[in-house]
Amino acid sequence: MLNTGHDLVATLSSDVSTEAEIEESDRWYQRFVGGAMMTNVWEAVVLLLLPFLAPNAEGTQYSPPGKPALTRCRSPEKETFTCWWEPGSDGGLSTTYALYYRKENSETVYECPDYHTAGENSCFFNKNDTSIWVNYNITVVATNALGSSFSDPVDIDVVYIVKPNPPEELNVTIMEDKGWPYLRVSWKPPQKADTRSGWITLIYELRVKLEGEDDWEMHLAGQQKMFNIFSLRSGGSYHVQVRCKPDHGFWSEWSSADYIKVPDYFHREKSMWILITVFSTFIFLIFMCFLHMNSNRSLKYYILPPIPGPKIKGFDKQLLKNGKSDEIFCALVVPDFPPTTSSKCENLMVEYLEVYVSEEQELILEESKELHNSLKCEGSTSDNDSGRGSCDSHTLLMDKCGEAKGDERQTDGEGHPMEMEAQMHQRDWKEGTLSSAYQDIVSPDMSSGRVKTWPSVFSPLHQCGSTSLNQMNSLAMAKQHCLSDNLSPPGSASSFLPQSGRSTTETHRPNYCEFYSSDKQLSSPKPQAQTHRKLQAHSDINISHKQAGLQSPALRPTEYVEVQRVNKEDMVLLQPVESGCVCGDGCPQVCQDYSKVKGLNSDNMLLLHRDVMEGEEVRSHCEKQETNGCITSHITPATQKPTDCIPTVTPIVQKEMGLAVSGYVDTAAMLTLPTH
Amino acid sequence: MMTAVKQSGVWAVLLWPYLLAVSIPLDCRDEQGNMSRCPFISQEKLLDRIIQHAELISRISEESCSLFEELFVPFPLRLQRNTVGYACITKALPIPSSKSEIQQISDKWLLQSVLMLVQSWIEPLVYLQTTLDRYDNAPDVLLNKTKWVSEKLVSLEQGVVVLIRKMLDEGTLTTTYNEQDLLQYDVLPDMLESVMRDYTLLSCFKKDAHKMEIFLKLLKCRQTDKFNCA
Repeated sequence: MLNTGHDLVATLSSDVSTEAEIEESDRWYQRFVGGAMMTNVWEAVVLLLLPFLAPNAEGTQYSPPGKPALTRCRSPEKETFTCWWEPGSDGGLSTTYALYYRKENSETVYECPDYHTAGENSCFFNKNDTSIWVNYNITVVATNALGSSFSDPVDIDVVYIVKPNPPEELNVTIMEDKGWPYLRVSWKPPQKADTRSGWITLIYELRVKLEGEDDWEMHLAGQQKMFNIFSLRSGGSYHVQVRCKPDHGFWSEWSSADYIKVPDYFHREKSMWILITVFSTFIFLIFMCFLHMNSNRSLKYYILPPIPGPKIKGFDKQLLKNGKSDEIFCALVVPDFPPTTSSKCENLMVEYLEVYVSEEQELILEESKELHNSLKCEGSTSDNDSGRGSCDSHTLLMDKCGEAKGDERQTDGEGHPMEMEAQMHQRDWKEGTLSSAYQDIVSPDMSSGRVKTWPSVFSPLHQCGSTSLNQMNSLAMAKQHCLSDNLSPPGSASSFLPQSGRSTTETHRPNYCEFYSSDKQLSSPKPQAQTHRKLQAHSDINISHKQAGLQSPALRPTEYVEVQRVNKEDMVLLQPVESGCVCGDGCPQVCQDYSKVKGLNSDNMLLLHRDVMEGEEVRSHCEKQETNGCITSHITPATQKPTDCIPTVTPIVQKEMGLAVSGYVDTAAMLTLPTH
Repeated sequence: MMTAVKQSGVWAVLLWPYLLAVSIPLDCRDEQGNMSRCPFISQEKLLDRIIQHAELISRISEESCSLFEELFVPFPLRLQRNTVGYACITKALPIPSSKSEIQQISDKWLLQSVLMLVQSWIEPLVYLQTTLDRYDNAPDVLLNKTKWVSEKLVSLEQGVVVLIRKMLDEGTLTTTYNEQDLLQYDVLPDMLESVMRDYTLLSCFKKDAHKMEIFLKLLKCRQTDKFNCA
């Protein structure tokens, strides 16, 4: 029977061809000897059924089972382990599987003690069957009616296949550290793992993520069973998981997640951010300020820009601050002018003229004796606020401010010389132009032409002046204000009234002499009532007087300006007189060129007559037309800003002034007064 | 794991003089018989330090084996981290190999097993040093590790000896060297064979180092809590 069975097995397993396989099958067959009875019965059954099975299987081929494969073996605690296998094809017949193992250094083959504890297709080795640090050689055999197949053997050592269970009792709580919360995570090792005795040493790892996000944050905890997580997002909800691994082995599965919600601590952060934002904005603004300031001017300029002050020459600004209008307007009138103490103003009728003399225009004025010089010449230079830039280079400047010799002049009714004192700035004169000259023009009929250079100012001034003038026989004082920064002390006999109001100006300021002419009509037709016409010539400081041959003004207290000619445009060209050039001193030319203005006729014509200069009597006349275009143009713009008016002095020369002889005054070219 | 190893390493390095000092009493008492000169260490502390030594040795041996495997062993021949291909030299030693067996043996036997293991590996590691030096491109890392391990093993032996003396009151130093001439000192003609032999050596040592560590830890557990330990 045995032989029959053996032969049957041999014939049935048609694929058993090799010797080894036959031996193997023999071996397995030997095992079956133990159950020989059953085997015989089984064989009989197979034999009986085979004829029935074979014809019934139409097209289905029964075959021995496919080759199984051991997939993995794992030990949870290094005391037991389990192996799983993957079955191959069963060949259409019911197949049984068996696991056999061998320990190292031993040839004894054992079969799996437990096929059920660990589930299907598994083999469980309990404590008694598990040896550590020992190699196991394991094989799985699949057997069906037609044959059996063997898997590849696998060698394992239990020590190296340990995969523990996940840690247990995961607990997450919120703790606080100085107001900042953090998570405290704690857990217990898996129950089966004997870490207490040191049989297994586990290291742990946990991961954290915010609810709703995908990225986990991993933390390695080592052998400790507690871990702190900082840097939490306020109000966030966190998931925490933990796993473990023995020193030689595999990582366990992640434990079940524990959820925790962090309370809000946002407000504390927010206040800090607000503070930071404010501070940084402040710093930014300061930085921008500095940048802007450094690019242009100084800080002082931005914070306290210079306030343009009143540019009234000879005007005390303090009066403006006091705020009394009467005082202000009265102050515009030079206190000494009209001179109340003397009668110098009596016969004076002064017109305030403003003259702008261009560079190429030179006025030659004949000084008239009648000029009453109660002019005050203040030498001052306008500051940069005067706005006289355009006039600068073309204006004549008479910047001599000396003492008013009004007394002398005013009292001299006739032929009161009028001097024009110009003091040229030593370093500022560029061109040889005449400084402004002024002359008093005696004309009883001044009222028709009222020169208003300072319209708003002059009218009250006028009134003031009228009051004083009334006192002084309603004589308008002609003032000449020549502003320069260097005022020479009045030395010469000039009719300049001392006038305060010298402004300290810087260099390169245009000097100008303001001629104030009031149209206050002096009733007195007497020569005393002379109208002072003052030419206000603005000239830039930069007007040099080299060409003119003028001496440095510092040396000479007074300078004369002579009217060279009058151009076709009815302008009086003034030429500064050489210093020291007094008639008779050797400047016969000059002397000859001087003309004297005799007077002003009703037609506003300047009456000149040739005269021989005599010393101090040489005067230059600054004539200013009452109603010349410049003046009007003066009036319209700001009072302190003479526009580019070129010398608008229209000389008024009478025909009978045969001054053309000297080339001094060209009668032909003169004089038509532009009527207004 | 690495931080634990580093900590252990630091501990071991720092405590190494102490361990040496501990082992000095052997000579102190013998030569001069003056116990006052020798530093005293408690049994618990000694056991702790021995365990730290063993842990560090196990860690470094595992790293050395992995490094060697990467560098010299062809991929098909690599062990699947599960077994040791060749028989280890210490297979003949009567060492318990399961937890149940370990639970049944006494402390004395536990210590004796450890001592046997340690002593049986001292010479092979020295041999391994010499063979690794013969390799053409063995990196210094590997050489340093194996050198360090062999040195530490010697100190571990000394510690265990002292511990045995303290715990078991056995005066004599049980030097049961493994007389088996398992190592063939002649150079094998085949390079691959030589590599595989060295590989086996390292793997076996890795396993035995782990054994030592476990035994010592179990011993410690028994010292503190006898009833709940393995």
